[in-house]
Parts: sequence; C-alpha cells; structure tokens
Amino acid sequence: MSWIPFKITQPKKQIVPKTVERDFEREYGKLQQLEEQTRRLQKDMKKSADADLAMSKSAVKISLDLLSNPLCEQDQDFLNMVTALDTAMKRMDAFNQEKVNQIQKTVIEPLKKFGSVFPSLNMAVKRREQALQDYRRLQAKVEKYEEKEKTGPVLAKLHQAREELRPVREDFEAKNKQLLDEMPRFYGSRLGYFQPSFESLIRAQVVYYSEMHKIFGDLTQQLDQPGHSDEQREQENEAKLSELRALSIVADD
Amino acid sequence: MASRGGDELSSRSGSPDKEGGVSEDRSLLHQRLAVKELMDTEVTYLHVLQLCASDIRSRLQQLPQGDVDILFSNIDDIIKVNGRLLHDLQETASKEEEQVSLIGNLFLEFQEELEQVYKVYCASYEQALQLVEAYRKEPELQQEIQGIIEAVVPQAGSSGLGFLLVTPLQRITKYPLLLQKILENTPPDDSAYPVLQRATSALQDVNANINEYKMRKEVASKYTRVQHLSLRERLARINTHSFSKKTTRLSQLLKQEAGLVPRTEDKEFDDLEERFQWVTLCVTELRSNVAAYLDNLEVFLGCRLHECNLDIPGGPVVQYCNLARDLQLEAFLKFKQRLEGLVWQPLCSLARALVGPRNLIKKRLDKLLDFERVEEKLLEVGSMTYEEEATRHTYQALNSLLVAELPQFNELVMQWLGQILRTFVALQGDLAKQVLQRAEGSMAQLPHHHLSEPAFRKLVEDELGQTSNQLRSFQETFEKVPPPPTTQPLRPESERQGQALLSRYGPGKLYQVTSNISGTGTLELTLLRGQIVALLQNKDTKGNSGRWLVDTGGQRGYVSAGKLQPYRTVPSEEELRGQARPHEDSRRLTPEPTRAPVLSVPTMTQVVAAYPFVARSSHEVSLQAGQPVTVLEAQDKKGNPEWSLVEVNGQRGYVPSGFLARAPSPAPWGWSPPS
Repeated sequence: MSWIPFKITQPKKQIVPKTVERDFEREYGKLQQLEEQTRRLQKDMKKSADADLAMSKSAVKISLDLLSNPLCEQDQDFLNMVTALDTAMKRMDAFNQEKVNQIQKTVIEPLKKFGSVFPSLNMAVKRREQALQDYRRLQAKVEKYEEKEKTGPVLAKLHQAREELRPVREDFEAKNKQLLDEMPRFYGSRLGYFQPSFESLIRAQVVYYSEMHKIFGDLTQQLDQPGHSDEQREQENEAKLSELRALSIVADD
Repeated sequence: MASRGGDELSSRSGSPDKEGGVSEDRSLLHQRLAVKELMDTEVTYLHVLQLCASDIRSRLQQLPQGDVDILFSNIDDIIKVNGRLLHDLQETASKEEEQVSLIGNLFLEFQEELEQVYKVYCASYEQALQLVEAYRKEPELQQEIQGIIEAVVPQAGSSGLGFLLVTPLQRITKYPLLLQKILENTPPDDSAYPVLQRATSALQDVNANINEYKMRKEVASKYTRVQHLSLRERLARINTHSFSKKTTRLSQLLKQEAGLVPRTEDKEFDDLEERFQWVTLCVTELRSNVAAYLDNLEVFLGCRLHECNLDIPGGPVVQYCNLARDLQLEAFLKFKQRLEGLVWQPLCSLARALVGPRNLIKKRLDKLLDFERVEEKLLEVGSMTYEEEATRHTYQALNSLLVAELPQFNELVMQWLGQILRTFVALQGDLAKQVLQRAEGSMAQLPHHHLSEPAFRKLVEDELGQTSNQLRSFQETFEKVPPPPTTQPLRPESERQGQALLSRYGPGKLYQVTSNISGTGTLELTLLRGQIVALLQNKDTKGNSGRWLVDTGGQRGYVSAGKLQPYRTVPSEEELRGQARPHEDSRRLTPEPTRAPVLSVPTMTQVVAAYPFVARSSHEVSLQAGQPVTVLEAQDKKGNPEWSLVEVNGQRGYVPSGFLARAPSPAPWGWSPPS
C-alpha cells in the first residue's frame, strides 16, 4: 500500500524492535526448514519401505514360479534346489515384513506425529501476524490523532483510540512472547524425539540382516556351492554359452 | 565263389591245380596292388595336405585371419589323424601274411576319429568354396593366390585353391572304394575277409554320417537365423507359393485335429518337445521375475534417506545417515551390479539361445504337415515330384537334428539355470554379510546396544509414548494462541442490545462478531462485525460444534463459531488476579476445546521433568530436563489438570503437566542433549 500518500495504516515508530523481529524470523525459519526435512524424510521412508516390501515379494515370486514348473516333477535335483530356495525366500519375506512393521511403528509414525504439530504452529504464527497488523493499524490511528490539534472531539477520539490500542498491543506482545518461548523449545525437542527412532531403525536392520545371513549361509551349504569369485562365475557363464552355441540348433546371434 | 571261378579258368586252360593257382595269384596280385595303391595315395595325400597347411597358408598373408580359418578349417586335425593312420599302415607292411586283416582292423579303429574330424571339414567346405569364388572375382588377388599355389604345388596347375581344398573330401570318399577293391580280391574264406568287410561298411557309414551332419548343419543355419528382413523383403517373400504352402499346412493341421488324418505320432520327439517347452517357460519366467526384482531394487536405491538434515549433530541420527549412505553407495550398489552381470545377462543370453530351437521345432512341424500331405498324395497318385521328395528330406533332416541335439540342449540349459540360481543365492548371502557387518558396527556405538531386542523395543515404545504426549502439549500450546481479543467499538444500538443480552444471559455467554457473517440457510443469521450476541447452544442439531445457536436480542439462528469471540464487558476477576497464568485464562475463554486432556500425573509418584521450564511468576517453579520432582497435586486450584503443583529443589510451584514424565524409565537418558 505504498502508493497511498497518507500511510494511515503504518505507524511512525517501529513498534517491534528489529532484534526481536530478527530473532522471531530466525527461530521460525529453523522450524520451517525442520518441517520440510521431516516431511521429506517421512515420504522417503515410506517409499523405501514400500520398495523393500516389493523387492521381497518379487524374490518370493521367483521361487514360487520355479516351484510350479512341471520340470520339478521330472527332475529330483531341480526340485530339491527350488524347494530349498522357496523356503528361504518365504522366511526372508516374513522377516522383512516384521522389519517394515517395526520401522512403521518406531520411525514413520513418530515422524508423522512430529509433522502434525506444524500446522498448529503455522496457524499460531499467522495469528501473531494478524495481531501485529491490528496493532500497527491502531498504533497508526493513535499517532494520527496525536498529531492533530487538541480540540475536544479530537481528545475524545484520541482517548478512545488509545483504549482500543491497549488490549491489542497486549495481545500481540503476549503472542509474540509465547511463540518466542515455545518455538526454540519445540525445535530443541527434536533432539530427544528422533534419537530413539533412528536407534530403532539401525537395530531393525541388524535383526533382519542377521537372519538373512544365517538363512542364506545355510542355503549355500545345502546347495553344495563352491565359493567362486566373480571372474570364475563369469567364465562359467561364458563356458555354458559356448557349449550351447556349439550346437547346430542354436542360432548364432 | 572262388572255387567256381577257379573251375571256369581250369576248364579253359585244362589243368585244374595250375589254373586255380593262377587265378588265386591274380587275385592276390590285384589285392597287393590295391593295398599298395592305398598306401601310396595316402602318402601323396598327406604330403599335399601338409603343403597346404604350412606353406600355402602361411603365404596367404593378405587375407584376413577369419577367412583363412574358414578356408583351412580343421586341416591340422586331419593331418594329425592321417599322420597316425599312415604310420600305422606303414607298420603293417612288415607283417605280410596278416597285413590285410591288420589294415581292416586299423580302419575299424580309426573309424570314429575319421568321422569326427572330417565331418567338421566337410561341413565348412561350402563356405570355403564361396570365399574362393569371391577371390576369383578380384583379378589381382587371384593372381597372387595362383602364384603362390604354382610355386608350392606345381601339379595343382591352374585349378587353383578350390582344387587343393577339396582333397580331404575326395580322400574320405575314396577310402570305402579302396577298401572295396581290396575286399573284392580277397577270398571269402580268408580270415581277413570278415574284418575287411566290416571295415568297408564302416567307412561307408562314415561317409553317410558326414553327409547327414552336413545336411543338418545346412538346414539348421537356414532356419535358425533370426531373420531381420526389411518390409520389402518380407513382401517379396509372400508369393503365391509360400502362401499356398501355409494354407495347405493349416488345412492339414485342422484335418489332424479333427481326426480325419492320422497324426504322425512320435512319442520320443513329443517328450523332448514338451521338456523343451517347460525349460523355455522356466527361463522366460525367471528372466521376467529377475527383471521385476531389479526394478524394485532400483526404486529402493533411489530413496536417498541419508540426505536428510534434521540439524542434529550427533547420536543415532548421524550414525544412521552414515550407515545408509555407505550401504547405498557401496553394498547395495555392488549387489545390483553383480546381479546384473552374473544373473541378468546370462538369463538374457539363455533366452536368446531358445530362439533357434523354437524356430526349428516350428519348421519341423510345418514340414511334417507338408510331408503328410505328400504321403497322402503318394497313396492316391503313386509318385511324388522332386519338390515333394525334398520336403520329406527336409522334414527328416530337421527331425533327426532335433532328436539328436534337443536332449543335450535341454540338459545344458538346466545346468546353466542351476548355476544361475546358485549364483543368485550366493549374491544374497554376500549382501547380507556386508550389510550385517556394517550395521553391527553402527549398532555398537548406539547408547542402548547392550540391551536385548525385546528390552529395547519396550524402551522405545515407552519413550515414544511419552514424547508423543509432549508433542501433543506443544500442539495444544500452539493452538491456544488465540485470535485477537479486541473489543471493537460498538454502535449505540449494539451497546443497548448488548446490555439487554447481558442482563438476560449473564456475562459468560456474550460473544462479539469478528467479521461480517452472511447467513445462507433459512436458520442462519446475517450479522455485522461488532454485533453482540448471546450463546444459546454451542452446537447445532446434528452435533456440529462449529455452528452455534445464538440470540441477537431480536432474532435467533445459527452462525459460524469461528467468527465469534468472547465479549468482555468488564475485566474478569481472573485477569486481575495476575498475569501469571495467561495460558490458563486464554484456555478458559476460547471455545470449548475438543481435544483430550494432557497426561495426568498421579499424585505423590516419583516423576521427572522431561523438559526444561522457566517460571514466570512466583506461583510457578523452574525445571531442568531430567530433574526428579515430587508431584503434590496433579491440578491447580481451579481443578485444571494442565498444571501440576510440584516440589523441586526445596521449592514449590506450578509447572505444566505436559512437561513431566513418568518414572521409573530413565527418560531421555542417552537420547537428550547433555544440557
């Protein structure tokens, strides 16, 4: 509204000291960043958990489809291998589900709860802003009357204006103080709040991967597997491919 | 037979013994000559081969290595085998009496090797011939080649490279003929006869097999090639001939299905084909399942959890971010790469290898249908055309090729599948080991690493319960920042109205309109900013607490509760009692809160402060986080449970109940900042 020559709504004196305003903005700014980070983290966690579940499900499908192939009826060795694989995959899937549940409970839910405070905070900040506007407006009004010639009616209006201003000013100051007190506290609470969640997250990984290590260790033994290096495996693959290609019925691609 | 021959001769010459002897001698002579021919030609043959393989080949440097390989194929192997054959043949020369039977045995011994080695050469001869023709078209190159040949093998003359390269083919077909010649001149009662006979038919078999092999290879390469044809080429292919072929096949198939024509049952082939189908299914399904797995892994890797920044300098949060980053950038990435290289790629190669046999099987069926029709026609007409004969041969070639090689194919694929699955398992195992190692490292640095899992879970549950209460109190605190409580200047009527309502309803029930309300329903009021109304009901008939029933003094109706604020005609007593509890007052004056009350702390229980609190008046007392307090009363003088009277450090005062935590769990122990 800077084009209006008479800035009726803007008071002359700076009603809120610059330092206070700066402090407020700094604290609120930090909280706004925290809000963004927690929201993003929550979304990423959910996405990661979903992908994790999907991966496990597709692993189960691998062994399930193998098991339902008629080759299993003809080939005992194949059947044994595929059955062992299937058992392992199903067990891993169960453990994975448990892991994701634990993460849901101890990380994603708390993140959500933390995030749900922000709307109320933002509303409170808006209300403070509203109060500030009202304060400014009434302050300007008082100043306007103060500058006029002190006639009777003017004095009466001045008095009334001052009466109006007082509760508004007090209200703003109360709000301002409240928020200036509470915001740092809320920001600080994140320290104590998130540590348990993340500790739980790490532990959930340890629990799951110990199981996985055990199960696949057993499976490796069962399938009578030599511990090949990657180069050896590549060579084996090449060898098999050459053997296949040596057959006339296989096309050279 | 020999005796008859002898009789004939004897009748001509007169004296029986002498004539029989002469004919015998003649046979023996022919036999010896035949044997000598065999030996001498073998020597020459080997010599020519060696010249080709060493002198000529090494001088053909201007040709690309690939061409040279095709031209000379496995000539080195042939030289080895024939070298040994010659050597053994020459050894038999010393054992005159048994020479012929030794030769017979020798060929029987070498039968297998000869077949193996010559079939390869013969199969690639066609291609070599094509190359030779191609060279002939380039005059310069041709001249050079000719020059080399004339220098090394003068007797080749102007016939060229083709002449030299065909010698192995000629030789292998000569063996049965040479042996036959020796056989013809051997008396049947000779001990060598049976051996020779077997050897001769063995070499005949060798030639038949070589031909069969060659034909199979040709047929295979014709039909297995994945044909990348342009559209024009495809259109050119569709001529009436091929079209009629296809319709004929279809009708034949339908006739079969309808039982009008007996289907050529071939149980062996059907079993093979069935297994092939299952193997194909296995490979195809596994491939697409692994693809899905890799896709999900990709998504999983895309979640960059370690990039979150909660501005927390240490502790489990930082531990986790480090762990997540390491796992993503190392362990999981490596896992994905290994999966792609050692599981996915081979599966793709396997899938591609299936194409050839699949095409051949299909072609065989097509040819079979053609063949059956031809047989039908044969029954009707009694003869078949050349083309129809060819169909039969093609079908038979395809059939025997598939029957010969499909079992091996199926077996190889199954073996490879087994290998791939084992690799998959190994990769998972490696991933688990890596991740576990790293995660255990992180865990060792956590504050509660010594706790068992169940104990830890209980601890976390309790802790989260408390902190969630804390959060709720924060939320309530923020929500209780009230809208501006300005008393707006009243218009005279409003003031009078206000007074009337005041006397009728009492001060607690008066509200002022904060902004203009325009009612839209029949029971809704239109009010102006600043008007005073009295509250009749703080919810509507449906229980909606956002709509209030109010009395303006003149009208009654519903208005939105959000546009009303309490109207204070006189400063309330609570206000006068001191600014010490602004929270309390604000709480009382705002519309009835619909939220559940905060945690109430039981009286006289050992409790700790979960959070620091600064007292703002003499009624309150300050708290430090973690400080044990004694709760004297779980509510204030007015019965409000949001405040608790506690004693701490010898002092008494009120503190917000939400700032207290239940004992005995050592609450933010290990998790709170050291302050």
